[in-house]
Amino acid sequence: MGRQLKFKIFRFNPQNPESVPRMEVFSLDETDSMTLFIALNRIREEQDGSLQFEFCCRAGICGSCAMVINGRPGLACHTKTKDLPDEITLTPLPVFELVGDLSVDTGSWFREMYNKVESWVHTDKVFDPNAIEDPMDNAIAEEIYELDRCVECGSCVAACGTARLRDDFMGATALNRLGRFVIDPRDKRTDEQYFEVIGSDEGIFGCMGLLACEDVCPKNLPLMNQLSYLRRKMGVVALKQIFKK
Amino acid sequence: MQTIYKDVLIIGAGLAGERAAAEAAGAGLSAVCLSIVPARRSHSAAAMGGMQAALGNSVMGEGDSTDVHFADTVKGSDWGCDQEVARLFADTAPIEMRRLCDWGVPWNRVVPGKSKYFKGGKQFDKEEKEEKRGLITARNFGGTAKWRTCYVSDGTGHSVLYTMDNRCAQLGVEVHDKSEAIALIQDGKTCYGAIARSLRTGELIAYVAKATMVATGGFGKIYKASTNAVICDGGVHGAVLDTGVVPLGNMEAVQFHPTGIVPTDILVTEGCRGDGGTLLDVNEERFMHIYEPDKAELASRDVVARWMTHHMRLGKGVPSPYGEHLWLDIRHLGADHITGKLREVYEICTSFLGVDPIHQLIPVRPTQHYSMGGVRTNKDGAAYGLKGLFSAGEAACWDMHGFNRLGGNSLAETVVAGGIVGGKIVEFLKDYECEIPTAEITRTAAKQQQRIDDMISGKNGNENVYKVREAMQNALDKGAHVFRTEEGLTECVETLQAVLKRARSIGLQTDGYGASPELSAALKIEGQVKLALCVAYGALQRRESRGSHNREDYPARNDRDWLTRTLAYWKNPDDDLPTLEYEDATPSFEMPPGDRGYGKMQIITADSKEES
Amino acid sequence: MSFDLPVTAAKSGKTDAILDWLQMISGVALIIFVFMHMTLVSSVLINPGIMDAIAHTYEANYMAQVGGPLLFLLFLFHFYLAARKIPFRLEGQKTIWAHAKMLNHRDTWLWIVQAASAMIILIMGSIHMWAVLSDLPITAARSAARMQSGPWVYFYLLLAPLVVLHVVAGLYRIAVKWGVAKDYSREKLNKIAIGLGIAFIVIGLATIVRFMTLAV
Ligand SMILES: Cc1cc2nc3c(=O)[nH]c(=O)nc-3n(C[C@H](O)[C@H](O)[C@H](O)COP(=O)(O)OP(=O)(O)OC[C@H]3O[C@@H](n4cnc5c(N)ncnc54)[C@H](O)[C@@H]3O)c2cc1C
Ligand code: HEM
Ligand code: HEM
Ligand code: SF4
Ligand code: F3S
Ligand code: FES
Repeated sequence: MGRQLKFKIFRFNPQNPESVPRMEVFSLDETDSMTLFIALNRIREEQDGSLQFEFCCRAGICGSCAMVINGRPGLACHTKTKDLPDEITLTPLPVFELVGDLSVDTGSWFREMYNKVESWVHTDKVFDPNAIEDPMDNAIAEEIYELDRCVECGSCVAACGTARLRDDFMGATALNRLGRFVIDPRDKRTDEQYFEVIGSDEGIFGCMGLLACEDVCPKNLPLMNQLSYLRRKMGVVALKQIFKK
Repeated sequence: MQTIYKDVLIIGAGLAGERAAAEAAGAGLSAVCLSIVPARRSHSAAAMGGMQAALGNSVMGEGDSTDVHFADTVKGSDWGCDQEVARLFADTAPIEMRRLCDWGVPWNRVVPGKSKYFKGGKQFDKEEKEEKRGLITARNFGGTAKWRTCYVSDGTGHSVLYTMDNRCAQLGVEVHDKSEAIALIQDGKTCYGAIARSLRTGELIAYVAKATMVATGGFGKIYKASTNAVICDGGVHGAVLDTGVVPLGNMEAVQFHPTGIVPTDILVTEGCRGDGGTLLDVNEERFMHIYEPDKAELASRDVVARWMTHHMRLGKGVPSPYGEHLWLDIRHLGADHITGKLREVYEICTSFLGVDPIHQLIPVRPTQHYSMGGVRTNKDGAAYGLKGLFSAGEAACWDMHGFNRLGGNSLAETVVAGGIVGGKIVEFLKDYECEIPTAEITRTAAKQQQRIDDMISGKNGNENVYKVREAMQNALDKGAHVFRTEEGLTECVETLQAVLKRARSIGLQTDGYGASPELSAALKIEGQVKLALCVAYGALQRRESRGSHNREDYPARNDRDWLTRTLAYWKNPDDDLPTLEYEDATPSFEMPPGDRGYGKMQIITADSKEES
Repeated sequence: MSFDLPVTAAKSGKTDAILDWLQMISGVALIIFVFMHMTLVSSVLINPGIMDAIAHTYEANYMAQVGGPLLFLLFLFHFYLAARKIPFRLEGQKTIWAHAKMLNHRDTWLWIVQAASAMIILIMGSIHMWAVLSDLPITAARSAARMQSGPWVYFYLLLAPLVVLHVVAGLYRIAVKWGVAKDYSREKLNKIAIGLGIAFIVIGLATIVRFMTLAV
């Protein structure tokens, strides 16, 4: 108890013509089990009601609250202040468009992503309300869920040097998303069709193996394994296409 | 001001909203969903446990049927539900689960062979059948006769919502996130859409549609300690109440979940108890079996929450700086189970509490969790009072939950109701024409702009919205919680009336530019306090105990006088109490009122002569 | 990912795929070369005679005369491939440096080290190859003479560690990019890489010392 925390927070409201980007300092007494969710809300309610940030579930489930915490992208709601030094620097996620202060627009980015990777099951099966479901091996279902756990927080994209250098790089989350469909037997896309989507420098071949995605992902998704799996798979597709000709 | 025209406007992009949107878009209508957050961050994503449907694939679900599911639901509701709706729900749920399966939900499947399971802390064996291999399996949940809860590890809501949003993306449903609806466009007879405020720029946008649907989820955040997301704040419920003609049903029926963790109020799933977790008191002894010898920890939520509160009152609670609590024990389930099937729980305990549930006990207490009440609709999902207005999901009082909803029934409700109501909207729009209500649009928009300007200029006063909100939350936490009394509720109503005055004189402390969060809070505070009054006043008037509504001074369920649904109207904007009306709980009885089989309580039957 | 683009699938990138394969293969080829190079040069540690013998075999088989220029081409080719990923514009340079500083993340820094060392290796390696290949045959004595004349020793003292850094980082990168290592074996791989790096630097420096002390 009793630490005095110093928060250095990025401030900028693009809607206010007088606002300029700057860092602002707020002080707060630390309390037991304090998280950044608690701290930021206290700052807003007690010190500056205009402070913008995103929280929704406040339980590490929805992915709303990613921001750069002392240099690392991560979920603010499950970051405990007791794991941080006295001085805490908070900035918004890079790559995504800024809405104001710590709030960025992940929604538009991810929507673009769904459309790019066509993030849905491709099948011509027509649903029959009277039939029982097609059986699936439970192990496969669990494998799919393992990849489906991404909460679209955007941390992996913000932490990726490639994504920051190249505007058109899809990022680990998009590649992981496609990978989820690759292993789903319900999706009838062929490897060649998947290649059309991610078989380029915008996709899997743009990844330089920086592994920051793997290291910051708050859900601990197996991104490193997933990316190398896709690289091999898509690499083989390319070779096959060449030798077929 | 920008005006956007669509066939269907859906406020809310959670499971209920998106399921309805998929139905409308599938029928070739243009549909747009509004949402405060990107669709996939909607609170449906937070549901971990699962959704109920009588598929009966697991050996523990053998003999299950839609009839058994129906009966569980009605008993769960303490006969407060609309039985036609409950029937419709139970019959449709299995079909919807299979549809979700086709759309891509990675349901956990039946694995044939022997396996262990826990019940009440003891270990049992079961053997799944070979012929069911690979079909959707189920887990155990409170208040059900069979294992019926379909699940995806511990991320059911997440996976289903992601699948649903994928489906919507495929169908071209537009989702306008960071758009917050603040008022309905209506003329007292017909609803024409809504005015929304952009949470990117702060601009007002008019959404004009032939059919409007409210699917904004629960309003738990009018309580201080709630498992709900911060956006579950009842903003649109306030706007609906504001019409003066649409009632909210059964607002006093608020569910408290037995296992919210202390102090952060995050839910740990029912699955913990379903899988064999036990509740312990200050002496680290089990107690639920004393009160509920049969179901013990697995009785329905209202019952468990009640006994927990009761047990703490006997002095058996664990003292802590954040108030008293009890313990949830899942240690005996083992590391594999906890880090596998209950991984999310494991993560919550370690990252929010610093507790390792493999070796340590989890501090829990009953916490506001679910709003059974909401926008009152008929069984087609059409709201009472306004043509062209619909509602589904937690936001609605469709009313299959009555006074207590069963775990796993609400997530199932979102997709079942979303599908049914979406279909009804399609029917409704078949030959429906309405004029573009230009005057109403401008009038509503101007009124909202005026409110904004007044708050920024401080014309009505300079009450701090955050303080007012806290006063409201504290009043409810104190007076309208698990146990309720005449005295406590009267005080609660009076406090809230005073808070309502303050809510009407909010002035911003900051400039209100752009997506100002202070302005967002200020715009809905008056509506929220009105909701709080609907809850407290409805509870004060309902002089019986039913489901989650527990009156200590009226402990009996009174089927003679109170087999009814409360309808709360706010007839005049300046009123400081809602106008309450009542209707029959159900138009017909497939299952006459009786004993639930758990949560022993006294019942005053319809033909009883005794004084209540 | 950029916004406002019409919604289309990413451009088909068979070329990108092939270039990525080639980048990896050129890297591996260069690694093999570096091993061969080390056996040649560092054999002087055991005995200058052995080095002379190895050099002689290479030259007898024309590996130096033909292989040298071919290697130079491979060197340039690898540069061309890898350079696709290096930001040459000031803005990109700023972004990536700021990013690495902000993130303070080992593998991101490692890439910067790799890219930066690459630029120096490109220049120094070319000079070195020119010097050696225009002064055949290779013998321990000639090398020692070069080493002991003028600033060459400093040249090698810089080049040797840089090459090791770049090569070890390259090995690590290929392993993680192509899945030779999985997430659970990453730490082990990391230890191996560090061990390998230290060993190579020690051998390299010892070689330089040996040349310096070798009587001309
Ligand atoms: C922690 C937790 C766990 C749960 N677990 C289970 C479970 O295991 N099983 C089960 O059956 N049920 C569970 N529930 C209940 C269930 O999750 C919800 O009842 C259900 O998801 C509600 O879905 P919905 O579609 O009605 O609303 P939500 O998913 O809450 O969606 C509401 C939508 O409305 C939008 N919105 C809100 N206000 C506005 C506004 N003013 N303008 C525009 N948009 C707005 C939001 O952005 C959001 O998109 C759980 C609930 C909680 C809190
Ligand atoms: C002895 C000489 C060299 C050797 C042995 C070598 C080896 C390697 C290896 C093995 C890789 C990994 C390849 C991959 O990731 O697919 C690599 C990557 C790289 N090399 Fe070299 N290299 C050499 C010289 C150079 C030169 C001269 C340059 C350029 C100026 C260069 C620039 C790069 C860059 C930028 C990368 C990173 C590519 C990426 O991250 O995708 N290298 N090198
Ligand atoms: C075919 C091409 C090459 C030949 C024949 C060759 C040969 C030699 C020889 C003979 C030496 C001993 C010192 C000297 O004579 O000056 C030497 C040293 C060295 N070479 Fe090369 N070399 C070649 C390519 C390269 C390349 C491409 C690199 C790296 C980019 C490189 C890096 C070094 C280094 C660092 C040393 C110092 C010795 C050490 O510390 O190991 N060489 N090389
Ligand atoms: S992959 Fe991980 S870091 Fe990336 S968006 Fe998903 S959850 Fe966030
Ligand atoms: S950080 Fe970026 S470069 Fe690849 S390994 Fe991860 S996507
Ligand atoms: S608020 Fe949902 S993840 Fe942090």
